[in-house]
Amino acid sequence: MSFALKLGASALALTVAATASFAESRAEFWKNAAEPYQGVTIRGVTESSPPSLYIREVLAPEFEALTGIRVDVETTSWDQMFDKAIKDMEAGTGIYDMAYIEQDIIYSYLARGFLTDLTGYLADHPALKAPSYDEANFTTFADYFKDAEGNLYGVPMEAFLKVYLYRTDLFGDPDIQSAFKAQTGRDLVPAKTHAEYAEIAQFFTDYGKANDMDLWGTTAQAHTGHVASWYEYYESVAPTFGVYNWGIDPDNNYAASTANGGAMNGPEAVEAMTWWLSMRDIAPPESPASTWTEVGTTFGAGRAAQGLVYGENAGWIAADAEKSLVVGKVGVALPPLADGVLAEAESGDGYIGYYDGGAFGMPHSSKNKEATALFLQYIGQNEVQPNWAVAAPRVTNTATYEDPKVVAFNEELGGYYDLIKDKGYLFAGAPAYPFHAQVREATAPIFYQILLGDLAPQEGLDQMAAAAEATLSDLGYRK
Amino acid sequence: MQSKRLGWILLAPTLVILFFFGVLPFIYVVYVSFHSWNPFAVNPEMVFNGADNFRKIVFDSAFLNSVGVTVMFVFFAVLSELIIGYFLAQAFMRDFPGKAIFRTIHTLPLIMAPIIVGSVWKLMTTPSIGIIPHYLDEWFGISMNIGTSAPAAFATIVIMDIWHWTPLVTLTLIAALVSLPQDPFEQAQIDGAGKRQIFWHITLPMIAPAVVATVFIRLMDALRTVDEVWMLTGGGPGSATRFVGVHIFKEVFPKTNYGYGSTISVIVLYLTIVSCWLLYVTMLAPRSKKD
Amino acid sequence: MRKPSPIIGLIFWSLVSLLTLFPIYWLFVISVKPAVQLFSTPELILSDPYWGNYAKVWGDRLLRSYMLNSVIISTGNAVICTVLGFFACYALSRFNMSGKESIFFWTITNRMAPPAVFLLPLFLLMTQVYTVGDWKLLDTRIGMILVYCTFNLPFAIWTLRPTVDGIPKELDEAAYVDGASSWQVITQIVFPLCRPGLAVTLILTWVFAWNEYLLAATLTNFNARTLTTGLSEYVTTTGTAWGVMATISVFTLIPALIVFGLVQKHIVAGLTFGAVKG
Repeated sequence: MSFALKLGASALALTVAATASFAESRAEFWKNAAEPYQGVTIRGVTESSPPSLYIREVLAPEFEALTGIRVDVETTSWDQMFDKAIKDMEAGTGIYDMAYIEQDIIYSYLARGFLTDLTGYLADHPALKAPSYDEANFTTFADYFKDAEGNLYGVPMEAFLKVYLYRTDLFGDPDIQSAFKAQTGRDLVPAKTHAEYAEIAQFFTDYGKANDMDLWGTTAQAHTGHVASWYEYYESVAPTFGVYNWGIDPDNNYAASTANGGAMNGPEAVEAMTWWLSMRDIAPPESPASTWTEVGTTFGAGRAAQGLVYGENAGWIAADAEKSLVVGKVGVALPPLADGVLAEAESGDGYIGYYDGGAFGMPHSSKNKEATALFLQYIGQNEVQPNWAVAAPRVTNTATYEDPKVVAFNEELGGYYDLIKDKGYLFAGAPAYPFHAQVREATAPIFYQILLGDLAPQEGLDQMAAAAEATLSDLGYRK
Repeated sequence: MQSKRLGWILLAPTLVILFFFGVLPFIYVVYVSFHSWNPFAVNPEMVFNGADNFRKIVFDSAFLNSVGVTVMFVFFAVLSELIIGYFLAQAFMRDFPGKAIFRTIHTLPLIMAPIIVGSVWKLMTTPSIGIIPHYLDEWFGISMNIGTSAPAAFATIVIMDIWHWTPLVTLTLIAALVSLPQDPFEQAQIDGAGKRQIFWHITLPMIAPAVVATVFIRLMDALRTVDEVWMLTGGGPGSATRFVGVHIFKEVFPKTNYGYGSTISVIVLYLTIVSCWLLYVTMLAPRSKKD
Repeated sequence: MRKPSPIIGLIFWSLVSLLTLFPIYWLFVISVKPAVQLFSTPELILSDPYWGNYAKVWGDRLLRSYMLNSVIISTGNAVICTVLGFFACYALSRFNMSGKESIFFWTITNRMAPPAVFLLPLFLLMTQVYTVGDWKLLDTRIGMILVYCTFNLPFAIWTLRPTVDGIPKELDEAAYVDGASSWQVITQIVFPLCRPGLAVTLILTWVFAWNEYLLAATLTNFNARTLTTGLSEYVTTTGTAWGVMATISVFTLIPALIVFGLVQKHIVAGLTFGAVKG
């Protein structure tokens, strides 16, 4: 720790010295490059998440002061954002110069040629290329926004893991530890397997009941009418049982059912579903009405001892006393795994959870590509990252991890950034499907029926696999 | 005396606006409804597929289910609103202390946007921590979970709708009641008619046009309900509150199924028009002939 | 008629008001709670209010511009719809035009359209057809005022029709005999007599426009965004800012209350109206 701090401090000293001499020439670049685009206004649409608000409130005004190019950022809700960007790009209207691309929609956009190839664009316009911007600065998360040739289509701006959060105060309580040991014969430590996780969850739910506390053993993002539950199962639960890419096999004619070579209704999928439902049953009563929002709030309110929580929320849960009751009592760990899954993830054949995030891309229909290219480079620079990472916990550039501010923040977050840095490669984004939302929506109603108990897991997953295949045939992907 | 031309001049602005913002988009929707079109399919273009979408809709159980729950919703919500709204409107016809204040309070729900209403009711009904389930449990031992119980979610939405829109019915009925001439009532009382007779034979026929107008408005707004349901249940649990508005929304927005979504809309629009027309003809047409 | 005791009336209305007010009260409670308390055990009685959300909302420049847009769009739309609706009703009521009952019925079908599907054609029309040079109807206040006519104009026509029909034609005729022009008859005889209906129509069209979300969310971007679209900015994957949302909602009630206060007394004005006709 002290070594890291020293290293960080010396790095900072170096940066400061370097900045002093470079600063002027860099400011010079932005000024000169932006000269022809004075008075231009570029417009972006994004979700009103903290990282985007930071762009609107901090980076855009900074950029305008530096270059004279005005940046308007429209922040809207998650549902609306896609629709607005898609309508604009589909009709080629050119309302937006920048659009937020969530990692799961990029393949749909690329398939339609909605986005501008940033690598190629900057190569064609060397005068616009900022010396302080380099694609190599990004973490591997940027790979999700590249096409097969390695051209980048979006400047990463958010990156999170869906992690296993646990309450360090409860897990570290000697009385609880001994009670747990007496009951189970094991030490109370974060679970490595599903059985261990279930044991801990049951223990804390019983513990909460026995002590008349509002405490349960696990969270469950199990909304019965919102796709959040679908995502928890396919992003974070099924992979830990070895069901990857929703159980659809893109190399085998997009097969979903086991009969055709898919895994959507295979035994692992059923096991994952059964396990997850059993966890849902001992989670707080609001779980069947919980999206990602409520799961974060449930954990932040101290109602769960452990759970899978989106990294977006891990930040405020662990550090924001205005919103969270468990500040400083949160630890992070890798999710519990079935046998062999870790090995598959290590070798790149599988993954253990969701690497979530988004980037800013430039619609093909933008009418201010030059100015937009400048701004996208501006927000991709190493220099702007540390403050951004503290304001809204997200890291997109490798160098950001070493910044002293971020190192300090990492401590507050219970080592969350270390986990991203060291173990991020075990996680994966959404599968490279251009039909993401379509198949999700086609299968979600059946999924909700499983949650409600109207369908048994096997029966429901059979129907989901059939519905997925039917939709893929309709769309023309499955021949 | 007065030329018909003046009539058309007075009507013209309305017709022009509705043509450019109502009819033209409708024509487009009808056009699209004969195509298969999903911008994220292998072929992202619009492809003419004749009446395929319309054939498909007949066997689409998800759509039929959404029509079913919508009809239930409209029936319970609109009927309750009409009855409660009528009694409140009648009550407001009397004079009593503090009437202006009470009337203002009664209209307050109207000024809340559906997405706000949905949010507040969501927080009030969140299982175990919302105030309603909390006190239902504490005082009566009833456990209410809108995430697992379809009847609870459905009832919550009906009650929310009644809370939100009864004031509209009250207001329009007040406007109708205050414009009624007094003499038929006085005459009827002199003739010794009972309260019930007065209601069925004098009040109701006289306010029928306003009642029908109100029912129409509530009916079609209930059919278009999206925002508050979206906020409160997202259409769940399962598809218990997946009303046609929500169903179409999910078909068109996340699924980007523009072709089939348009077909559903055309059918829904057709069904609405037919049912409203029947209502209109049975309730109002005989009267206007008499006039 | 039988007069019930005022005490019973008072109790009855207090109970009704309590039920009506509770969700609004709860909205207020949410707005004065720090986020951290929202998911703890609820208490009916408010203690120790927290005003942080109000400070946040009050200082937000963007929200103020949303508020202004909302006021302009709803007021403009309500006035246009009430006036045009009144004209249309007068035409339908007084002139023997062919097919007028079909026109009357047709207007209401415009309100039946499920909005989700009409967004795409409206978007295309407003970006590609209704344009002058670089200027587009999309994302303008006038554009939203016109779009809102699709659901408010039919509403105005349908709520005003019974009122206009209820004004005896003899009054018009008497005025014509006295030498009044058509315009004078419409504006000086019939219009004032319709005040209760017009007031109700104005209020309700205003409310519908003020509360509309889906169309505004899709058809505005930067310049004409309304408060309801501003509200949706607080529903995010990192959590819904319930407190801020509730605070904005409380603020949205204020202009609405003012409009209500201004217009409500005209509903009462109609109470004397029966006598005129008798």
